[in-house]
Amino acid sequence: MKRIVIPGEMVSDQRKRLGGNVFVSDGKIYSKVLGISDESDEKASVIPLEGKYFPQAEDVVMGVVSRVVFAGYGININSFTESFIPRSAMREDLRVGDLVSSKISYVNELREAELGFPRRMFGGDVIEVTPVRTPRLIGKNGSMLELLKQGTGADIIVGKNGRVWARNGNLDLLRKVVMFINDNSYKSNLTNSVEAFFKAEGIQINIAPKGEKTNNAAEESEVLEANAEESEVLGGAESEELN
Amino acid sequence: MRQTVLENDVSKITELAKQGKRLDGRALDEMRDFTLELGLCENAEGSAKIRLGQTEVLAGIKMGVDKPYPDSPDEGAISVGAELLPLAHSEYEAGPPSFDEIEVARVVDRGIRESKAIDFASLCIKEGEAVWVAFMDFYAINADGNLFDAGSIAGLASFLSAKVPKLNDKNKIIKHEYSGKLEMKRMPLLTTFVKVGGKIMVDPTYVEEKAAEARFSVSTTEDGYMAAMQKGMGGSFNVEEVNYMIDKAFIIGAETRKKLIKQMKQ
Amino acid sequence: MTEEKIPDYKKDKKRVDGRKMDELRPISIKVGVLPNADGSAYLEWGQNKVYAAVYGPREALPKHTQNPYKAVVKVTYRMATFSVPERKQPRPNRRDMEISKVLGEALTKVIFTEQFPNTEIGVYVEVVDSNAGSRVACLTAASCALANAGIPMKDLVAATGIGKAFGELIVDLNKDEEDAPDAVDIPFGIMPNSGEIVLLQMDGLLTKEEWAKLVPLGMKACADVYAVQKKALQEKFSLSEVSEKNVEAVVEAKVKQEKADTKTEKKDQADKKSAGSVKPGVLQQVKAKKVRK
Repeated sequence: MKRIVIPGEMVSDQRKRLGGNVFVSDGKIYSKVLGISDESDEKASVIPLEGKYFPQAEDVVMGVVSRVVFAGYGININSFTESFIPRSAMREDLRVGDLVSSKISYVNELREAELGFPRRMFGGDVIEVTPVRTPRLIGKNGSMLELLKQGTGADIIVGKNGRVWARNGNLDLLRKVVMFINDNSYKSNLTNSVEAFFKAEGIQINIAPKGEKTNNAAEESEVLEANAEESEVLGGAESEELN
Repeated sequence: MRQTVLENDVSKITELAKQGKRLDGRALDEMRDFTLELGLCENAEGSAKIRLGQTEVLAGIKMGVDKPYPDSPDEGAISVGAELLPLAHSEYEAGPPSFDEIEVARVVDRGIRESKAIDFASLCIKEGEAVWVAFMDFYAINADGNLFDAGSIAGLASFLSAKVPKLNDKNKIIKHEYSGKLEMKRMPLLTTFVKVGGKIMVDPTYVEEKAAEARFSVSTTEDGYMAAMQKGMGGSFNVEEVNYMIDKAFIIGAETRKKLIKQMKQ
Repeated sequence: MTEEKIPDYKKDKKRVDGRKMDELRPISIKVGVLPNADGSAYLEWGQNKVYAAVYGPREALPKHTQNPYKAVVKVTYRMATFSVPERKQPRPNRRDMEISKVLGEALTKVIFTEQFPNTEIGVYVEVVDSNAGSRVACLTAASCALANAGIPMKDLVAATGIGKAFGELIVDLNKDEEDAPDAVDIPFGIMPNSGEIVLLQMDGLLTKEEWAKLVPLGMKACADVYAVQKKALQEKFSLSEVSEKNVEAVVEAKVKQEKADTKTEKKDQADKKSAGSVKPGVLQQVKAKKVRK
């Protein structure tokens, strides 16, 4: 059963495998955050509804140059520590405020992210969303993202750190739909409704096989699940024991 | 939410300004809409909270009894303070008053003081012995640009709604009893402009302030006076630009005043 | 309160403001009120009105304040100059500093600080109107703001004042009661799920027996506070389905706003292209819908 839980609220009183954002006290499982409890027979986890970005290897992020020093650039990736790109990694010089896309190659024990393949982004627009809700903008196998691209004709990169970069296409419409998904990320039936919305707008949508669309509920829970898994890796060590 | 300013945004704002447009779709000479909430703070003699776009400022008045200055024994005084609370923006820090805080407080102060909106002689309780001091302090609760005008509107609204406490025969304030309202003769309002990409725009947001070269504020009254001016930031204006801004300030000030009166009546 | 008669709660069975002995003043909380902050809350508790904002976790500066094993929770408690009957000096005083410290320590206990080494979690609370009990109001608001910021916590913190006035043990003292000749004021904050005490201070003369009777009163009052906190955090989210109607409604509302904007733009005649080209689809639809209605 899914429900909204607050920090310290019990998720399960049974012994289960621990998912993300939960902790154990006296053999019972509690939530660490404000989120949606996701409990199955063998596992309990919570999908967060708010929060900053937890850097994680393999994530695509949008960084902003916040500092320029002799050796390179301090990059704000919306996390709680700054990342660094050595000058040698960039072909051209960067300036404070420049946008850089990158894939996180490594996160150390202080949760500092190492940025791989940095690329400066030219032009376009950035839409800021709640980082923990970005999985819904991508959808299962990128279905939502594909929908957004088709619906608005824009080139879109979803930075997992809550910065959505977009260029060309109908950016005003994109901004509205993205904010709508952000505001309703915890609800079900999101992909269907966005798709129906675009169709009502008279925009041709031509998305993957039918089977996948009708199977929306399953898709969503998987996306949410994926999100919970992610944080599990992060929570890992600490979530075992407390008090 | 966004507090890291992208170079992208700055250049976009500049580009748009050159075409006479703005990021949020406003005209260059268009203020953001505002709402006022009056009398939020019961311990204050007058209080007003303004929400100007996403900028939120809370102003309040405390009336105190003090000895007059020797050179003006029959005159009371006003005092204006501003705090850019660390609540309001990740850039603001707790600590002693910053240059920005002092500037915005002093500009708002001059706008009201120099317009002679408040007759200091009317704040006299007993010549040479006791006068009223009206302390107006305003706090940035959420900062999205133009704290000057937000502070000025909220400040004026709190002065307009302020009550004067009753005094006992020893000139001590009797709690929760009032002798009347604070008398305001004029309604001075600041109007603040910035210059971006060579164009003048009113009521800048936080990112627009970041893109700006220069800032100019002028306080105008309903009867055609200017009461205070302040040019800020590194850039410069020519005389035509200043004249343009003054003309605009009277028009925008009058509109704002109308909105303020309407909201105060509700 | 007037000077003529000192109330006697044992006889009156009712408090100066008409409350029962174990009754809280009305509390309301709204979270997410400040768009700039990572998390925020606005709380009204009787006449007390406080804002709380959370920034962070973010890099702790200056560097020497960093702890390589955990986050530093830094609370800044301040009162607006006009939040008290007699104007407060804007400069933070010793009371502000002490309260900041104890609130920070109370909140540190509930946060999983070890997840954020070298960082600072900045919690800013501003009292804009007050009538006794502002620090417990702040602690209650701050813990909601932390949850709103998505910071991992073991529990919330619920707090209230408990104590004694006019001869009777009471909860949530107001100013008149705080000024009573026999007043005892105990700011009392707990982790509601475990009942662990995280804030405890006291002023006044109290017996051990009175304390023993007060604790259950405080626990019960905190449970009431906790219920309000929980509701405030949850009410923003409802687990319903969305439909395309929802999407339309949201987009429509924004389009209406823009319609007004584009009008002014047209006057300028500066541009017709970029503003116009975007919306016709949506606009037509809005019109069509109106006709249907």
